[in-house]
Amino acid sequence: MTSAGGIGRRVPALRGPGGHVPGGRGQGWRRLGGGGLSARRSRTGMILVSPAFAMVALFVLFPLGFAVYISLTNWPLIGPYHYVGGQNYSEIIHDQAFVHSVLFTLLYTAIVTVPIFVLGYLMALLVRSNRRGAVFFRTAFFLPYIIGLATESFILLLELQPDSGAVDFVLHKLGLAAATTAWTVNYGLALTAICVFVVWFASGLTMMLLMAGMNGIPAELYESADVDGATWWEKERRVTLPLLRRSIALSLIISVIGSFLAFNQFYILTEGGPGTSTEPVVMWIYQEAFVQYHLGYATAGAIVLVVVIAVISALQFYLLRDGDDKKAAR
Amino acid sequence: MKLLSRQALVGAAAIALLAAAGCSSSGSSPSTATSSSSFGVNATGTVQFWARSVSKDLAQKLVSEFNATHKNLQVKLTLTSINDDTTTLATSIRAGDPPDVVGLNDIDMPTFTENGSFMDLTSEIDKLPYKDDLSPGHMGLATDNGKLYGVPYWADLSVLWYNKTLFKRAGLNPNDPPTTYAQILSDAQKINKLGGGVNGFTFAGDCEGCLGFTVQPGIWAQGSYLTKGGLSNQTASITGNTALESALTFYRQMWTQKLVPDNDRTDDGTTWGEDFAAGKIGIMPAGYGQVVDLVKPSQLGSEFMDTPLPGQNGGYSTFDGGDDFAIPTAAKNPSGAWEFIQWVLQTQQQKQFPALGATPVRTDVLTPTFSAANPEDAVALKALAKGYAPVTLVYNQMFNEASGPWFQMFSTAVYDGNMSLALQQGQSGLTSLLQQASP
Repeated sequence: MTSAGGIGRRVPALRGPGGHVPGGRGQGWRRLGGGGLSARRSRTGMILVSPAFAMVALFVLFPLGFAVYISLTNWPLIGPYHYVGGQNYSEIIHDQAFVHSVLFTLLYTAIVTVPIFVLGYLMALLVRSNRRGAVFFRTAFFLPYIIGLATESFILLLELQPDSGAVDFVLHKLGLAAATTAWTVNYGLALTAICVFVVWFASGLTMMLLMAGMNGIPAELYESADVDGATWWEKERRVTLPLLRRSIALSLIISVIGSFLAFNQFYILTEGGPGTSTEPVVMWIYQEAFVQYHLGYATAGAIVLVVVIAVISALQFYLLRDGDDKKAAR
Repeated sequence: MKLLSRQALVGAAAIALLAAAGCSSSGSSPSTATSSSSFGVNATGTVQFWARSVSKDLAQKLVSEFNATHKNLQVKLTLTSINDDTTTLATSIRAGDPPDVVGLNDIDMPTFTENGSFMDLTSEIDKLPYKDDLSPGHMGLATDNGKLYGVPYWADLSVLWYNKTLFKRAGLNPNDPPTTYAQILSDAQKINKLGGGVNGFTFAGDCEGCLGFTVQPGIWAQGSYLTKGGLSNQTASITGNTALESALTFYRQMWTQKLVPDNDRTDDGTTWGEDFAAGKIGIMPAGYGQVVDLVKPSQLGSEFMDTPLPGQNGGYSTFDGGDDFAIPTAAKNPSGAWEFIQWVLQTQQQKQFPALGATPVRTDVLTPTFSAANPEDAVALKALAKGYAPVTLVYNQMFNEASGPWFQMFSTAVYDGNMSLALQQGQSGLTSLLQQASP
């Protein structure tokens, strides 16, 4: 991951001799004899990215812009609507249900993010080499992610049933819980069950991202460390972790965004209950839009969520940038 | 970079224009007249029919037979998701391209009739010779300010199922099903004593919609309702509602006396009725079609039988569920749609409903011949005449949500045993929602 990024930054076609980006006004470009080559390269670049830009404009920017407009109206399911300005936003911040759903989502994210990363890292360590059995474990660890959250949530729903599900049966045999423990209708039990389930589900993806990063680290670095007499732990700390920075950032960002957008597992397992105690913010948006039919109000909540995720992702990018990025920023 | 910036500005302007254009196309459509004498007679062309996937078998059979006998008018069926049918329909209406006829969950009718999304069919319905025999609950939901915007399509009715084999084993008369809460409780206690994993009663205890479907008829059977007034001045009627209190007390007794399986508490409807179909339950309030789908045809009547859902001291009622037919105001072939609807409502078609897991929507279909051929559906059809469904703009919010006041009240009363708090929660929760929904 790191080496690939390094190579990418050295591709001469993307930078002028002066280290400036194409189209820039650096001295190096002027020395090349005017803007002819620069302009051609710029035009070629624009032509190449224009299809992608058109798609993004059509399927991302336009819907996003339209969603912002809807959030400024009292848009119902059907019938006339009118512009209400920022009223939806001012009401949302005083809406106890919305605030609760945001706080619950933050709590849920805080609980699952570290275990997903740690478990994913440990699994990546186990399967990164080509030793015997690595392929089997790699497949087994990634399988939950392949099967899908909704399918597994339905399976878990059946297995969490008191008196008939496998979870109560096993825990009862181990003396850890009553055979009639009702997991999905108790806040603490439901949150525990869902967090354990999600860590099991999502750590496979983290494993794959980190393993790909680990396999991209040149073997020469480890050989050099061996020559220097480094221990396993020192190699992990001094070689693997620093060079995995971007993979770690990517896996954490994906994990946090996934937690902020959590819906399936809560919708299937608890429906946000008991009451609204396990209602994440996306379920609040769903309920407002498709049960209460307050589409304008729900869209305002969705826009707030987009902004929050963008801010958190930007913050993560900033905190987890590597040395090269920091130099570039300076 | 500057070029990109300029493009971004142009793109943003285009988005704003497109958004404005999209917004300007909204608004309610003009109502369509049905006064022409040829309306619904010898129509031609194609009729686009949207039906919920829950009525798939019925819809496919009806459309197939209609198309085979109407060469000049063909119906094209589109099945919609059970949960997203209202948003799909609303989107099509907003886009000005709705179907010609829709089979809509009847409790969702007020959401669309209130803002003029459907054609006023009053004059056409008044001409139907069997108008007074149409399902009263369905018709109530299709009525707004005295005008009729739809007719029943199919009925999904709640009844009280019981296991005749377990009745016999418990020393009960299988041909004498319970008709009061006290009798249900007594029969359930006797069946529960059989042991061996057998329970006297069951309910989907974490499925708010299922509970609304099966508990409320017992309250209506006593002549009591949870809301009062029309859409514009609706109020909650929870505190002081003795019929409601007796229903909640009845379920509390079932729970505390352990007459139901432990996993009823977490049954969100996913496995509802499976233990009954497996012969492990004595009595279960549920839909007619639900059990028909779960058991073998040979078991109906011989092992499993239904009876109307009673109230505390007798009487009976049913939740008048299922779908209503409605014609969107912007339908392209409303005449063809009305011809198709009238054809479905004919006796010949209605008699086919039981075999497809549905109950007819005309009470005059209930004849001795019909009862002999369909004894279980005859029970449901008999209850249809006394059926009801709440007419409100916020039914889903009140009764079909885990966080709604209905389920909160039920949980507090039945599982926590705090009746006074439960009734307070119900009263304030329903009042709040009704006030929000007040036009």
